[in-house]
Amino acid sequence: MRPPRSALLLLAVVLAACSPGASSPGASVPSGGLTKVTLLLGFRPDVQFAPFYLAQQKGYYTDAGLDVSIEFKQSPDVIRLVGDGRALVGVADATDVMISRTSGIPVKYVSTLYDRFPVALIGRKGEVPSDPAGLKGKTIGTPGKFGSSWVALQALLRAGGLTVDDVMIREYPQFNQADGLAHGDVDLITGFRNNEPLRLESQGIAVDQLTIDQIAPLPGPGIIAGDSTLTSSAGLVRAFAEATAKAQADVIADPEAGVAAAEVAVPTIKEDRDAALAVLRATADLWKGDSGFSNGAIDMERWRSAYDTMRELGFIDGSVPPDEMVAPAG
Amino acid sequence: MGGGMRRIGTAVLSLAAFLVIWKLVTVIGDLPDFILPAPEVVAERGVRAIASGTLGQHTGVTLLEIILGFAVGASTAIATGVALAKSVLVERVLSPYIVAAQAVPILALAPLLDIWFGGGLLARVLICALIVFFPIAIATMVGVRSTDPLLAEMLRSLGATPRQLTTRLEIPSALPVIFGGLRVGVTLAVIGAVVAEWAGASSGLGVLINIANQGLFDTPLMFVALVTLAVIGLAFYGLVVLAERRLVAH
Repeated sequence: MRPPRSALLLLAVVLAACSPGASSPGASVPSGGLTKVTLLLGFRPDVQFAPFYLAQQKGYYTDAGLDVSIEFKQSPDVIRLVGDGRALVGVADATDVMISRTSGIPVKYVSTLYDRFPVALIGRKGEVPSDPAGLKGKTIGTPGKFGSSWVALQALLRAGGLTVDDVMIREYPQFNQADGLAHGDVDLITGFRNNEPLRLESQGIAVDQLTIDQIAPLPGPGIIAGDSTLTSSAGLVRAFAEATAKAQADVIADPEAGVAAAEVAVPTIKEDRDAALAVLRATADLWKGDSGFSNGAIDMERWRSAYDTMRELGFIDGSVPPDEMVAPAG
Repeated sequence: MGGGMRRIGTAVLSLAAFLVIWKLVTVIGDLPDFILPAPEVVAERGVRAIASGTLGQHTGVTLLEIILGFAVGASTAIATGVALAKSVLVERVLSPYIVAAQAVPILALAPLLDIWFGGGLLARVLICALIVFFPIAIATMVGVRSTDPLLAEMLRSLGATPRQLTTRLEIPSALPVIFGGLRVGVTLAVIGAVVAEWAGASSGLGVLINIANQGLFDTPLMFVALVTLAVIGLAFYGLVVLAERRLVAH
């Protein structure tokens, strides 16, 4: 019996849809002087992405010859799609770049967005140890055994001479660990310094934080690009990174302008503008290092130190050297 | 060739065709393993996950959640379905809540249930049971209501008590429809266990998917977990069909 024609047609359509030519390319042929490119962001549209919105609205991207389209994906998919060249650039955690590069995904970190590592241990005021050794016996809520929170927690424990066996871990895969802290289920949580502390304080819960910057420095999230993109379109990546850094500097100087740009892109921000402004101020603080805003520069010394930490913790096996994980766009 | 052999032959051919199409998609699409791993890559990763004990450990946890969640959900649903069918008052009072509970996305509710019920096995079994409940309860209600009224009248005239009417006539005659609900419910139990693990758990196949996807960027391992879930779903579905064949007279 011969297969029906409709079945063959369906198979052909499925195969054609899966061919590389059918995927949306990271950068397409210039049209009207601008090159259409795609930026992939993790999480959901929110105020911390203000520099990208501002750069679009103020024409920084068009001045750089780019017509930028922003898409939101789950964080792991951002890395996969950028690695496959289906988007020009994306935003990812540096620690995720180290792990994904080691596991064979051809992406590189090209520009720093956060000079301070955004994850911290957060607890009720007076209940957060200043020395990581004091974490012994604590119950800690974290989204799961993945991502920058898990890396930061392990790095902090290691700095205190502890391992995960010395604490109780409670997992909150839906990222609702702040609810667990408010509910009294855990002593401490991992969280983003520009998010969970503000949420908890808005509920009347005063908090303290144990940050990782001075204990085990890790590079923060940055802009990533795929190897194939860096071979074919390095100039576009550089232009994108420079335009974004310019917008970041604008937002640092005038957070109100950043919120206004974010409101245009994400109208729901207007619902609680004060909260959005507080988040953006806290976020902008994380973009700056000890010596101010670095315009996207990559601190290779910190990268190498973090690489050693990640290797000692078993997140990477050392088969890919740190220099192959980074390609400064500037 | 007997009917059984023909059935097995068809299933093997269908699986082979599925694997060939899967492989063709990866070759023609020139897709790297981190986007869509080829079947042999997934198989090789599966062998390593079994050898290391990773797959067995996570699978055991999920199996326990599925069995307990399905047992709790199905038994509660059948009891509720009978009550809904037999009492207009119960139906009027409970139906809106049952339908509303079904309409609420469980993915949004699960993290709250996890916090309310202490985040342990109990919370995960409840989430699983909640997902299983609706199709079985509705199938039971419809099945019991479809009882032949003449047979019911005959039993009553012979002096059967309401309890006897339910256990000797209504439930047995509703079994084909109830098993329809159980078939749907048992596959939902697999989804329910994963949703429960995504709400809060430290092991299980849902957790393994998260670790492979977000922690290790190991797409083949994620597929190993997905294939394992599919096999578990097929196995439980087969068990329900087997039970149906034994209990329902055709």
